[in-house]
Formats: sequence, structure tokens, C-alpha cells
Amino acid sequence: MPALAPGRWVAVALFGIVALVPAGVRDAYLLDSVILILLWGALSAAWNVAGGYAGQVSLGHAAFFGIGAYSAALMTARFQQSPWLGLVLGVVLSIVAGGVIGYLSNRLRGPYFALSTIAFSQVLLIVASRWRGFTAGSEGIPVPFRPGFWTLGLGHVAWVYLALGVAVLYYGVAIWLETSRVGYQLAGVREDEDAAEALGIASRRLKVYAVTLSAAMTSVVGTFWAQYVGFVDPFYVFSIDLSVRFALNTIIGGIGTGLGPFLGSLLITSLETYLRATFSGMKTGFAGIYLVIYGTALILVVRFVPEGLTGLAARLRVRSSRAHA
Amino acid sequence: MLTLERVTKRFGGLTAVRDVSLEVREGDLLGIIGPNGAGKTTLFNVISGYYRPDGGRVLLAGRDVGGEPPHVICRLGLTRTFQIVKPFGNLSVLDNVMIGALTRLPRVAAARDEARRVIDSCGLGPYAGARAKALPVGLRKRLEVARALATRPRLLLLDEVMAGLNPTELGGIVELIRRLHAEGLTLIVIEHIMAAMMRLARRIVVLHHGETIAEGRPDEITRDRRVIDAYLGEEFVLAEA
Repeated sequence: MPALAPGRWVAVALFGIVALVPAGVRDAYLLDSVILILLWGALSAAWNVAGGYAGQVSLGHAAFFGIGAYSAALMTARFQQSPWLGLVLGVVLSIVAGGVIGYLSNRLRGPYFALSTIAFSQVLLIVASRWRGFTAGSEGIPVPFRPGFWTLGLGHVAWVYLALGVAVLYYGVAIWLETSRVGYQLAGVREDEDAAEALGIASRRLKVYAVTLSAAMTSVVGTFWAQYVGFVDPFYVFSIDLSVRFALNTIIGGIGTGLGPFLGSLLITSLETYLRATFSGMKTGFAGIYLVIYGTALILVVRFVPEGLTGLAARLRVRSSRAHA
Repeated sequence: MLTLERVTKRFGGLTAVRDVSLEVREGDLLGIIGPNGAGKTTLFNVISGYYRPDGGRVLLAGRDVGGEPPHVICRLGLTRTFQIVKPFGNLSVLDNVMIGALTRLPRVAAARDEARRVIDSCGLGPYAGARAKALPVGLRKRLEVARALATRPRLLLLDEVMAGLNPTELGGIVELIRRLHAEGLTLIVIEHIMAAMMRLARRIVVLHHGETIAEGRPDEITRDRRVIDAYLGEEFVLAEA
């Protein structure tokens, strides 16, 4: 068996620690943070399939998140069915929508593609917020809590393991994209589509598959998120903020790497939670200060560590091995 | 193996390739030369599937492939390189070549072994771990050839792999092409530099303004009046060859 790369060991350690957390921690606030870090990490990992591995930077992935969230919320609140059915419906709808977006990526490149994905998510926002008879419009949908696995009415500990399961699965997808034939071919398409074509790779089809997979993965976590948080608000689930967040977590952690999205989520989610908790008690004038600090931190990372945390780690490792040599 | 029948390609009002017919047989080493803008690369783009021909037929092993996408044509055994090299810049030389090898060898380990073999045979062995974009241009041209070879083509189209090289690099690549030909590979080589081509090709087609103006052995080509006119002022280049 080949030796594991350092990044793999870090992943094993991180996921291992998370698996042990519920054994020692009963604090709901901390468990909530862990669940959110895992869900945001999984969402960023889903985005990374398109944005990192396929090189199709989308700023509209909230569309798929919202599709997953609404499918499950409507399925439970309106039709009294299991959210798991909503999950499946969300995946099916996201595959269709992802196919359309993937097709667009063959027509529009770079910023034009990113803009079209924003437009797509905004269209869904308008539909969800205006179609009052069905979606309850801008009021949003409260998701009923019914205890049980089939209804996804779970306690914090169960949520930790469910979120961990999704995170590990998505990390596995990234590993598959780094080591499989399809993954290498996709890397070729990302680097140069024409050259990949010349080497016998069906570039366009592969790109569509990657974007579609990414969409379906995002939708699944959208469903879980809605069931966990218990409320779906169109202006949140289809927001550009959310799309940007998937991208930023990944870029800060290390785009096109397996571990990057999770490290980015760990850093950003903890930072945000900490800053919000620290400054929310102050006078109203300081209420938004955490956003200023958050924004400053982002600028610093993008300016000084553009390759992300995983890239920084690799750089330091090279430097220390040179120092030892 | 490859037959072009009156192939034509137009861009708006400009006819880049007009009624070009040619025949490439198994084991050929055909050269295509012509001044800048003669339509050489356009012709390659039509043959390899990047452009759909506006007229005429492209027959690969008897099958009309006009309008088929490049990846299908590659799988049928025809691979091309690019004049402006297109390495997968952020990947290693080994990964670059491996992506080519994966087209015929679905297993990653087998493709990696094949890629190592091809890299060694192209003299890129010491650079296997280097990032492709860090290579100097001479090695990038070699990488372009190595990557194409890894797809195991029966017919290889080389688009100006000698342009921009220094004399040492040039000698190396000429030797590589000769060896590939000796090993049984059929090649079509585009070159702007006539001198290099004269040493290499058995048969040469001369394009000018998108049309074939001459075809024959190198010594016949150098004496052809129309060719000399097309390369006006470059007569001395021909003489040197």
C-alpha cells in the first residue's frame, strides 16, 4: 500500500477527532459549530468539484443549495412526506439544472460563465419568493420537527455523525478525482480544453458531468441544512452571499484540493462564530464589526496566501525540508 | 490511410483552404510547407476535427470524419500537436503524458508506466517531475510530441514543432521525428522553415493562399518556379537546403 500524502493524514486526523467529539462534548453550542463546519465544508467540497477540479468557477451554486433545501422543506411541510424523498427530488432537479449550467459552460467562459450562474440563482430566488401559493413566498417555510431518522428529526449527536458521513463521502469524491482516470482527464480539460480534446478526451461532456455532479452534491447538503436549521428563507438559500461563501471557503482552504474546502470552512466558520459572539454584546454601533474583521481577514489571505491553506502548508514543508537538508 | 478530397474551409469572405486534395499512405512522412497565412494550420484544424470543412471530404482509413469532434478522431488513430504549444501548465510532465496515455489504457497504473516509457524515449526523462509551464520552449515542444505519442496514434500531425528552437534543439527534434518514422509511424509535418523540412520529408506539399501549388520530392520542390515565387526573396533558403 502506498504511503499516504501528508494532506491525507491531516484529513484522517480531523475527521477522526470529529468522530470522537460527541463522546466527550455535550455542549449544544459547540456541537452546533461542529455540525455547521462539516456542512459548510461539504458544500465547499461540492463547489470544488466544479470550481476547483473542473475549473468552472460558479457564483450561483446557491441555486442548487436552494433546490435541495426547498425540495425537502416542501416535501415535509406541504406534502407530509419524508425529507429523504425531498433529498432525492432535489438531486434530480439539480441534475437537470446542473446539466443546463454545465451546457452553458461550453458556451460561456470565465467571468461570463460566473455571471450566468449568478443570474440563474437569482431567477430561482424570484420564483421562490414570488410564487406565494406554493412556496409561501418571502415568508419562508418552517420545517416541522418530527423525531426520527426517516423524518430527519435528529439530536445534535446524530447530526454530527450524519454531517461527518457526508463530509467524509465528499472528501472521498475529491480523492477519487485526484487519482482516477476521469480525474486526470478532468485536470487536462481544466488546464487546456483544446489540448485535452486532441488527446481523445470528450472535454465538453466531461465538464457537463463535473458541473452536474457538483450540483447534485450541493443539493444533498442543501436538504440536510434545511432539515437541521428548520427554516427555509428564499433570500438566504438563493443568495449570492451563500454562493460566494462556498467559493471563498474553498479558495481560502486551497482550491482543487481534497482538504482545502474543509480547512477553509473550519477557519471561516469558527472565525465568524467567534467574532459574532464576541462583538454582538456590544453597543449597536459595533454590531456589524465582525463583518469588517471577517472581510479584512479574507483580503489578507487572498493577498498573501493566494494558493490557500493547503498551499501554504506545502510551501512551509518544502522550506523546512530544505532547512534540514 | 488519410485522403483529402477537395477540402475547402472559408472564414466569412476569406477562403483559407481551397480544394486541397492529398493522399497519405501508411509509412509516409509528408511535409506541408508554405509562407505565413498559407492555410497550413487551418488544414490541420480541419483534418483533426477542430473545424468542419465547408466543402470536400476528409477520409481517415476510408471513413468520412469531416465534422467529427477531435476526441473521436484521436481515438480513430490520428493525433495532432499545436503550433502554439498547449501544455497542461500546472501539471507535471509525467501527468501531462499520462493524460494522453489514459486514452488507450484505462488503468491509471498502466498509463503511468506507459507515460514513463514515452517520456524516456522522447528524452524528457530527467524532467518527468517538473511542472510543464516551467520547461523551456524546446522541451515544451518535445512534451507536446510525447503527449501525442502516448495516445498511440497511427498517424501523427506535427504543427511547427521546430519553430523557435535553437540549432541543438532543432537537431534533437529532427532526430526524434526520424526515429518515430523509422519505427513505422506515419507523419504529416507542417513547417515554415523550409531548410529543416528539406532534410526530413520524403514528399512535400506546398500551400499558398490556401491552395496546393506544388507537390513532390524535396529536390523537385526547390526547383519549382511557383514555389520560388511564393517564397519571394527566400530563394537563398531553398538553395541552402
